[in-house]
Amino acid sequence: MLPAARGFVIEDLRKLEADALGEVRAASDPRELEGVRVRYLGRRDGLVSRCLRRLGGLSPEERPAAGAEANRVKGSVDRALEERRAALSRDGASSEDGPDLTLPARTGWQGTIHPVSRAVDDIWSIFRSLGFTRARGPEVDTEWYNFVALNTPLDHPAADEQDTLYLAPGLLLRSHTSPVQIRTMEQYPPPIRIVAPGMVYRRDTYDATHTPAFAQIEGLVVDEGVTFVDFKATLAEFARRFWGPGTRVRFRPSFFPFTEPSAEVDVKRLIVREDGREEETDWIEIMGAGMVDPAVLDNVGYDSERYTGWAFGMGPARVALLRHGVRDLRLFYENDMRFLGQFR
Amino acid sequence: MKVSYRWVRDVAPGIGLRPAEAMERLALRGAPVEEWVDLAEGLKDVVIGQVLEAGPHPNADRLTICRVAGPDGEVPVVCGAPVVRVGAYYPFAPVGAVLPGGFRIGKRKIRGSYSEGMLCSERELELGEDHAGIMLLEGQYEVGAPFAASVGLDDVRMDVEVTPNRGDLLSHVGIARELHPAGQAGIALPPLPGGRDELAASFARGGGEASSAGCRIRIEDPDLCSRYLGAVIRGVTVGPSPRWLADRLRAAGARPINNVVDATNYVMLELGQPLHAFDLEKLADATIVVGRARPGESLVTLDDEPRAITPGMLMIRDAVQPVAIAGVMGGRDSEVSGQSTDILLECALFEPRQVRATRRALAMSTDASYRFERGVDPATMEAAVLRAVTLILATAGGTLDGEIIDAHPRPWVPPVVGLRPSRASHVLGVDFTPDAISKLLVPLGYKVEAAGADRLDVTVPGHRTCDTLREVDLIEEVARTHGYDAFPEVMSAARAGTVPDHPLFQLEDRLRGLLAANGISEAQTPALGPKQHGDVALLNPMSRDEGYLRRDRLPGLLTHVERNMSRGVRDVRLFEIGTAFAPSEDGPPFESSRVAVVLTGGRTPAHWSSRAEPFDVHDIAGVLGLITREARPDAAVVPAGRRAGGPTNGRTDVPAGGQAQQLFVPGRCYEVVSGSGEVVGWGGQVRPELLDLPRWAGPVVGGEVVLPAVPAPQPDVTARDLPDQPAVQRDMAFLVPAGTAAGEVLDAARRAAGRLLETGDVFDVYEGEDLPPGMRSVALRLRFRARGRTLTDREVDKTCRRVVRTVKEKTGVEPRR
Repeated sequence: MLPAARGFVIEDLRKLEADALGEVRAASDPRELEGVRVRYLGRRDGLVSRCLRRLGGLSPEERPAAGAEANRVKGSVDRALEERRAALSRDGASSEDGPDLTLPARTGWQGTIHPVSRAVDDIWSIFRSLGFTRARGPEVDTEWYNFVALNTPLDHPAADEQDTLYLAPGLLLRSHTSPVQIRTMEQYPPPIRIVAPGMVYRRDTYDATHTPAFAQIEGLVVDEGVTFVDFKATLAEFARRFWGPGTRVRFRPSFFPFTEPSAEVDVKRLIVREDGREEETDWIEIMGAGMVDPAVLDNVGYDSERYTGWAFGMGPARVALLRHGVRDLRLFYENDMRFLGQFR
Repeated sequence: MKVSYRWVRDVAPGIGLRPAEAMERLALRGAPVEEWVDLAEGLKDVVIGQVLEAGPHPNADRLTICRVAGPDGEVPVVCGAPVVRVGAYYPFAPVGAVLPGGFRIGKRKIRGSYSEGMLCSERELELGEDHAGIMLLEGQYEVGAPFAASVGLDDVRMDVEVTPNRGDLLSHVGIARELHPAGQAGIALPPLPGGRDELAASFARGGGEASSAGCRIRIEDPDLCSRYLGAVIRGVTVGPSPRWLADRLRAAGARPINNVVDATNYVMLELGQPLHAFDLEKLADATIVVGRARPGESLVTLDDEPRAITPGMLMIRDAVQPVAIAGVMGGRDSEVSGQSTDILLECALFEPRQVRATRRALAMSTDASYRFERGVDPATMEAAVLRAVTLILATAGGTLDGEIIDAHPRPWVPPVVGLRPSRASHVLGVDFTPDAISKLLVPLGYKVEAAGADRLDVTVPGHRTCDTLREVDLIEEVARTHGYDAFPEVMSAARAGTVPDHPLFQLEDRLRGLLAANGISEAQTPALGPKQHGDVALLNPMSRDEGYLRRDRLPGLLTHVERNMSRGVRDVRLFEIGTAFAPSEDGPPFESSRVAVVLTGGRTPAHWSSRAEPFDVHDIAGVLGLITREARPDAAVVPAGRRAGGPTNGRTDVPAGGQAQQLFVPGRCYEVVSGSGEVVGWGGQVRPELLDLPRWAGPVVGGEVVLPAVPAPQPDVTARDLPDQPAVQRDMAFLVPAGTAAGEVLDAARRAAGRLLETGDVFDVYEGEDLPPGMRSVALRLRFRARGRTLTDREVDKTCRRVVRTVKEKTGVEPRR
């Protein structure tokens, strides 16, 4: 009779284990799972606990085997409960004892880089990939660097085009970044392959398209064998990389005293409308450019018969204006946090 | 340059381009159209009407009742004009038409009679000032046809942007030359209505002096006036111009004045040659002298302005006094008026720089000076004067008296410029044969002759003498007429340049990224500010608020805190990288690149989990530290006034150390001090009284660092091995009285801890009632580690006892027990 009793206990334990594991799997939320735990493993009335208490009625020979089995069952149910609990808390964000994951996340402030700086950066990074480096020069400069060395005699109407701010006779706030061309060529021998971003100043009052101080970016290439073909190719390549592969680029004759032939460069962008159709913009003027005038090379002591070059100047603020659909240039200089914060 | 496209086509009949095509071609030839106006736009509803009957209105003296044949048959029209010619043609606005001013014609009952349309006056069509009578159309017209096309008003006015080198484009002929397929050869001036086909005129030629018809012309300064043509016309009747002439001028954006003045303007707009008409009776001794002004001379110009004439300006004088400023404007007293009968027509060539200097000194610009500055064609002067005389005789009557006077001390010789085809190919990257070059240049009026194996002699036409002086100018003409679009785009391999990437740009880029990553947004503010913000003044500022170059960038940035807050933005974190200017003894000011930062509002975005603390001075100290480590690795951020010694910078491009104290709350500011003791930055809590902020505004902290002109390359980091031995960490707290700096306690502790100390910092500061009054508890955390062995507790305990003892000795501060 006694062996039968032992077998009975072990059998009971195994059945309890199977029932418990089934209920653990079926439990769909932590509360239900806790009910399962109490029913089987509860210290006082748990079914496994009660079974354990019955071990006292077994013979000393039978007790170790039954005891070991009871502990194994207890451990097995325990593990199943733990796994199920973890699985439930993974599934449900609103589990009672975890954090409410629907609440707003904790973040720090995010700063932004000014849209005009970003335009300069993006322009620069394209030219950098084309082998350019950056040069700089002073913002206060002389008439020699700003005009005369750039083949712009002061008594020529071209000097009127840029109404200049003066500090003293002959001393001015540069009206373009082109003086950096002269200063760079004075300091370094050819080949030259630079861009020169910087602030320039003109006697313009604030309106939707003018500010008295604004950013400009200059480019200069001088070497043997540099031609108009190369000039067109490089700037068109830049324009397509900057404005997108579908962009058309147009070169129109123009006049700048320090380049000849001179050109205005226009782009026609391909934009995708909201309905998915592609559309071309109007021609947009993006830069002034041209082959470096031999007089400029002569002024810095380069041999203008041997060396040729090309140069350009563009306004990153205008680029940013077009790019971001900003209606009024003044928004760039009001520095309203709500405006700047858009340029993440 | 405003041009009438109809006029352009009239001077070069072969131009078949529609207006839009013409504008496209002009753009590709270097003269884009800035804007254009369809002149017939407002007249599209107006048609030709013929008056069949006219009689007085039964109920009104001043009104006329007409029967008018229009597009929809015959209709009754009540007309306000007293005289209406039966059988004549008038511009007619039928019922439903809208006039240029926006007025809509309806069927109306006027004093008991129906009126179904309107016969229009010039003013109602915005074609002129005349509103006394309706606009009688001379000649035969088709009834009901569009009015604008019937009378030649279907025109487009284009405002062409002309670059300073292209004086030749400041005329209708010049524009036509670019548009006609044959260029110069396509120009054929139309006969002038009422003018004689062939004017029988000869010239009284002379050098510096010439005369005819009792009039004498003398040039005193042939360098400034190389030729002066004068035509004497006697017996003119000055009055309004005929309609075709007035319409033509208006179409080109000019205002008709009288038949004589209009004739000079017509020829100027057509050929680009400025002309002037004097009232001959007003010229003392019928004499013209061209020479420099004498001291004390003055002149009232025809715009009624007294002009300050200075010696050196070139004047036109009669036998007694100045009568015109050469190339700029005529005098009021010798102007052609309604009473004038005899006139002297001037067509002269003045030196461009002279005209420019004079008109700039007088702060004025006229159509004439604009053209002289950009170069007037010396080769069309005779044609211009003949055309103007023909036009005056046709519109104002009179006769040409004697010969046309031609004082011509410096005969013009067309310049010849050499062009090497090989050079053109060298610059342009495409091979051009001599033949191809010739085909491109000849239509523009150049003569091209071979002059050697690789040389062409190019004779420059009069209209291009001012800008085609060198070989490269011709190369540009070749490229322009070949068409920029026709050049291929082939990128060639480039050699690396010799110029290194400037390290200051690299530093500025790193700072931008660093500060933005720390939650601060980049601003851009102008370098121009009011007097209190700068020491370097502008000579010609636009306004008082923009009269100086900023000495620092932070004050400008602070105004943007004010602006943001005035718009209700509470959290403002801005930085800026820009140039500051300091005066120098003589020569240009010193420039330095600066980075400035302002912080105000919450240190973190509002979040449900905690209250956001406001920014305070410790935040700006942290940001200054970030900037300093990046920009000036040798410098340190220290509380202002706590560094050893006074301000020591000897350079004048960096402001002295007193700067910080002015902008910041005393005791709440820092300086950035370089390794050599220069103050190269400052920051702190901005004095609230310096800012105009709303009441809710919290503290504003800010700072600025002077960036090195050429930052040193960043040294490579040498990596250290990670330690194998464990560290021992000890905390200790001190009771620090109000007058003692926590930094001193920390410094003393660090020094006393010696070689075994790995890190040591303040980890807690506590003030509370359980402490003695005026005391803070400053807690330090010291971490010790020895190389190659494990520290014992005994060793560390001993070191800590030494630290406590030394801190007490050096600073008088007791440990907290």
